Amino acid sequence: MSEALNAGLALFVLALAAWMVVARDTFAAVVGFVAYGLLLTLVWVQLHGVDVALTEGAIGGGLTGAMLVAAAARLRRTEAAARAERPGWPTRAAAALLAGGVTAALAVAVLALPVPAPSLAPETAANMGATGVGNPITGVLLAFRAVDTLLETTVVLLALIGVWSLAPDRVWGGRPGPRHRADPNETLAYLARVLPPIGLVVGVYIFWVGADLPGGKFQGASIIAAMWLLAVMAGLSDAPPISRGWLRLALVGGPLVFIAIGAAGVATAGAFLAYPDGLAKLLIKAIEWALLPSLALTLALILAGVPERPAR
Amino acid sequence: MAEFLLAAALFVLAMVALGFVRILRGPGDADRMMAAQLIGTGGIGALLLIGAAMGVGPVVDVALTLALLAAFASVAFFKAVTDGQPDDTGAAERE
Repeated sequence: MSEALNAGLALFVLALAAWMVVARDTFAAVVGFVAYGLLLTLVWVQLHGVDVALTEGAIGGGLTGAMLVAAAARLRRTEAAARAERPGWPTRAAAALLAGGVTAALAVAVLALPVPAPSLAPETAANMGATGVGNPITGVLLAFRAVDTLLETTVVLLALIGVWSLAPDRVWGGRPGPRHRADPNETLAYLARVLPPIGLVVGVYIFWVGADLPGGKFQGASIIAAMWLLAVMAGLSDAPPISRGWLRLALVGGPLVFIAIGAAGVATAGAFLAYPDGLAKLLIKAIEWALLPSLALTLALILAGVPERPAR
Repeated sequence: MAEFLLAAALFVLAMVALGFVRILRGPGDADRMMAAQLIGTGGIGALLLIGAAMGVGPVVDVALTLALLAAFASVAFFKAVTDGQPDDTGAAERE
């Protein structure tokens, strides 16, 4: 039965992916992408990668989907003009050749992978005790490959700076996105009152269980960010001006704590991002606690978008 | 029991796959988004069934996350189509 389910899933995912590539309407393709993210979550669960499934569901399907929907709505005005143009056959042939070439190169690369795949899993599992963390993914991300995680959190911050840099000069330092208004008796305002308390609890829970089970700061932060944006979109709250000092401090706070603990490792354990014996779990939790609010705020502000209104 | 749960998951998925037709054909944005939401709801159901069949508890956390973010995505869709695009007639034409 598992095979039938896998075959059905694979067929469904491939059909949706193929259609998304050929769909001419951007909005339709984006809606397809949201459904695609969900199906990929199912695929990852079937592959026993629950950690990946959770990340895919939270970031791939959820936040990216919402961001792409907003982008597609914004692009709609220019889409008719783009569709009216029909490229000549040399352009099309070149595009087909390029796309086909990339696909073929990827296929060759995947088929050429060594079997069995080289793995550090046994070494990781053997040394997991040193970190004191129950979830091997969290252990790898914050102990053995902490540099990657540090860069990852910095990249998110850089993405936000990229979004902000699109702001026109006159509203620089202003509030992102339009000021949403909604009838307080509407379903939207009701949803925005009922869902965030539940969402916050779930977000913090997903973050909390990350030490021992699938979960973690990125997944928790994306749920918290979504809940805050829900309140903003229902007009119950407003996005803060990006020039606020506390906001800037909150954004860089998490990565700064990470770097500080990493730098302290040079003195106490002999290497950048090394943890002294016995303190690994405590320091990992400290980094995660510091990163959660920074990440939630960063993700929320990336989705809130470019500053559009002066701060007043 | 696991076989039955997986069969049920497959059935739910097959039913939800019919919503795929609405995503493909539209005609309106709202039709597409509602179909995506249907796939979301059915997908969460299938996910929970698979999780129960495989005995993987944390799958419930994945389902919770998906459920919360699906509600968020539908609101984001509604806002994108109705707000901030006063001069955009594309949405009106498509309805």
